[in-house]
Amino acid sequence: MKRALLAVAITVVTAASAFAASGKVNTGCGLGTVLWKGRADSSVFSQALQATTNQTFGNQTFGITSGTLECGTPGKVVQNERLNHFVRANMDNLARDIAQGRGESLDAFAELLQVPAEKRPGFYAALQSNFASVFTSENVVVAEVIDNAVALTN
Amino acid sequence: MIVTMPMLYCPFRKSCDAMGTHPLLIWLLVLIVNLAALAGVCSGTDDPYLAELQSRAAERQLHRERTWEVLLHYRPRGDGRESLVDDPRFFLAPGGKTDPAAELSATLRSLFSTDASGDEHPRCRFPARTAWLAEELAIDAGHLPPMACPQLDEALAAVNPRSAVLVFPAAHPNGPASMFGHTLLRVGSTYRSDLLSYAVNYASHTTDTNGIVYAFKGIFGGYSGYYSILPYYEKVKEYNDLEHRDVWEYPLTLAPDEVRRMVLHIWELRGIASDYYFFDENCSFNLLFLLEAARPRLRLAEEFWNRSSFWVMPADTVAVIGRAGLIEKQTYRPAQATRILHRASLLSPDARHEALQTALSPQRAQAVAASGRPPEERRQILNLAAEYVQYRYSRKELEQPEFQRQFLEVLKVRSPLGPDESDAGEVPVPPAPETGHLPGRVGLGGGYRHDTPFVEASIRPAYHALLDADEGYSPHSQIIFAEAVGRYYPERHSIRLQRFTAVDIVSLAPRDEFFKPISWKVNGGLFRRPFADGSDRLFLRLNTGGGMAWSVPGNGVVYGMAELDLNLSDRLRDKAVLGAGVSAGVIVSPVDCWKVALSGSALAYGLQYHEYYRLALEQNLALSRTLGLGLTASWERSFDRSRAEAMLMVNRYF
Repeated sequence: MKRALLAVAITVVTAASAFAASGKVNTGCGLGTVLWKGRADSSVFSQALQATTNQTFGNQTFGITSGTLECGTPGKVVQNERLNHFVRANMDNLARDIAQGRGESLDAFAELLQVPAEKRPGFYAALQSNFASVFTSENVVVAEVIDNAVALTN
Repeated sequence: MIVTMPMLYCPFRKSCDAMGTHPLLIWLLVLIVNLAALAGVCSGTDDPYLAELQSRAAERQLHRERTWEVLLHYRPRGDGRESLVDDPRFFLAPGGKTDPAAELSATLRSLFSTDASGDEHPRCRFPARTAWLAEELAIDAGHLPPMACPQLDEALAAVNPRSAVLVFPAAHPNGPASMFGHTLLRVGSTYRSDLLSYAVNYASHTTDTNGIVYAFKGIFGGYSGYYSILPYYEKVKEYNDLEHRDVWEYPLTLAPDEVRRMVLHIWELRGIASDYYFFDENCSFNLLFLLEAARPRLRLAEEFWNRSSFWVMPADTVAVIGRAGLIEKQTYRPAQATRILHRASLLSPDARHEALQTALSPQRAQAVAASGRPPEERRQILNLAAEYVQYRYSRKELEQPEFQRQFLEVLKVRSPLGPDESDAGEVPVPPAPETGHLPGRVGLGGGYRHDTPFVEASIRPAYHALLDADEGYSPHSQIIFAEAVGRYYPERHSIRLQRFTAVDIVSLAPRDEFFKPISWKVNGGLFRRPFADGSDRLFLRLNTGGGMAWSVPGNGVVYGMAELDLNLSDRLRDKAVLGAGVSAGVIVSPVDCWKVALSGSALAYGLQYHEYYRLALEQNLALSRTLGLGLTASWERSFDRSRAEAMLMVNRYF
């Protein structure tokens, strides 16, 4: 009996570790880069358990600011760490919102760029119709997206 | 008279070491100075203003004030007080954890410390305590040494606290255990976009990568819990986009100065460890302290502190905060998977199929855009395809380069089609978690087993059974903890334990074109069924199964599972039997308050070969949030003995 339980336990743990080994660390500043950031183990199995026990990985404490230096510095905007970080963390949703012409990430982006409320419909339309010149390629990075978008505010 | 020892020691040691003076001489000097101070001879070295503040504080018994107890997390312990915080760095007096008066006195003294460490100075480190003492004692800032706290100022400028929102991510659709959920706070600023606010989170930190290890340590206090502040969009992404959990937000009726006080207290807790226990001293419990810090006259944590139950559930804390009058409305933030389901439900089967195919092979996007479909349908097909590409990436079905290419390909084709004309992205708000039935349940009823009448009573501390009304819960899921059921058979004058369910979890997750989840169940406890001698006997059972489920009309689900069943009993020839078999069933809920389930299972056991069959027809009528009426008819066959049973139960939720 004990052996049977032990066998079950070993199988479960081994399976979990096999899942764990498939985790992959993404770094970078483009599309799809930050979804997995800070998650030591992204297997579905571990996620389910993590969702259960409310744990955070690594050093997620007082992230008031966090460096985006490696993602380049946008040229045409004043230094705005918050904007850089937002775009870096939300690049996928921002791209989707821009392509659809609306969305919460797009609203936040416009607010960080200090686009006045009355100019936003025009700004959103300009971004949508110039999507391909904002997200120029699949390798586009934060600073480029910001610069390309800012170019359309004028 | 209090001697300012630390202030005397440090300069002395520095200068004397430099001169190479004998340590004994230093001690003698210190002793003399201290004695002098005690005698009041040399009171000039001590600040008379500090002495006055300390005596006023002692006179007014400030250390017994509610605010002081809240800020230091003191709880009654016997005749005295003890702080729930375990980290010694949280206290300025050596015995501060159990001595509120000494801690207050030490805090006052620390305000006058000329130690120019800036961000680490007690005034920077404990700004909420400092602010409260300064206000209560009307401390003249002119008497305090000048102090700058650049890190604190920077944090306050970034967070710019104006409003607070309680955030409650709902259960993971296929992980009913996450029904216990999580709660966090969001601190709003003058930004209009909620995404730009900050999340305040309490969680245990881990670098363990093995799921089993961290589940185990999380439950048994193996980790330390910490508060953290981070951009809210990080949490939204985590819950909505990665874990695919809907999020509920409850704006709190706290004034800006209260929210600011709360943030100052969070700053005090920065890097301070408490032992994290998943079941009680968890995220939800610890957030209550923050709300008390915002408005000290609130008494939220006490409700849990005083009661005997051994866990704190996030939904409970929402109810407690609601009862305190802090919540006036709620908002809903659907998970990406929820949005995909909703978008798909609005499309025709043909358009839905096209969206799926486009997501799987994005080169089709061009053909969709150029097709003769109505413009809005083309937009919605591509919107759905784009979201599904994101979903696949979150599930690791795509590698990053593939994702970048496919996602951009769909979006580039979508963007020239212009803005949506419909509100397809707006998911209708489902019933909020707090509108559902209460998690505890007691039942009383009666029926016949074979031809013998019985009376049955049951109690279940938590949480939700398949037949309970789904409103406010994850549909088609069950999580039962510690349910005890007893029966009285009047003819035999016998009272017996019918069953004790330690845990019983079921997740029936419907499969469709977009989502292919596995349904599963696991349960264990003491159960009763006919044995070889013909008597109903109690045995220990561990059971688990996996399978598939699909939606059926009437908010229903049909499912089939393969299962394994381990039974242990002294009455079995080899003490144990291991069985395998299948189970299947259908559950429908034609109206919100009424559920009917038909289920069957067939198992064959090895070691002592026998077969087991069960068929059951159950229904539950929810009369209100707190009352339900259950009717069950079942038939089972075990060791070639058949038993039919019918039972009527009244259930009260608490």
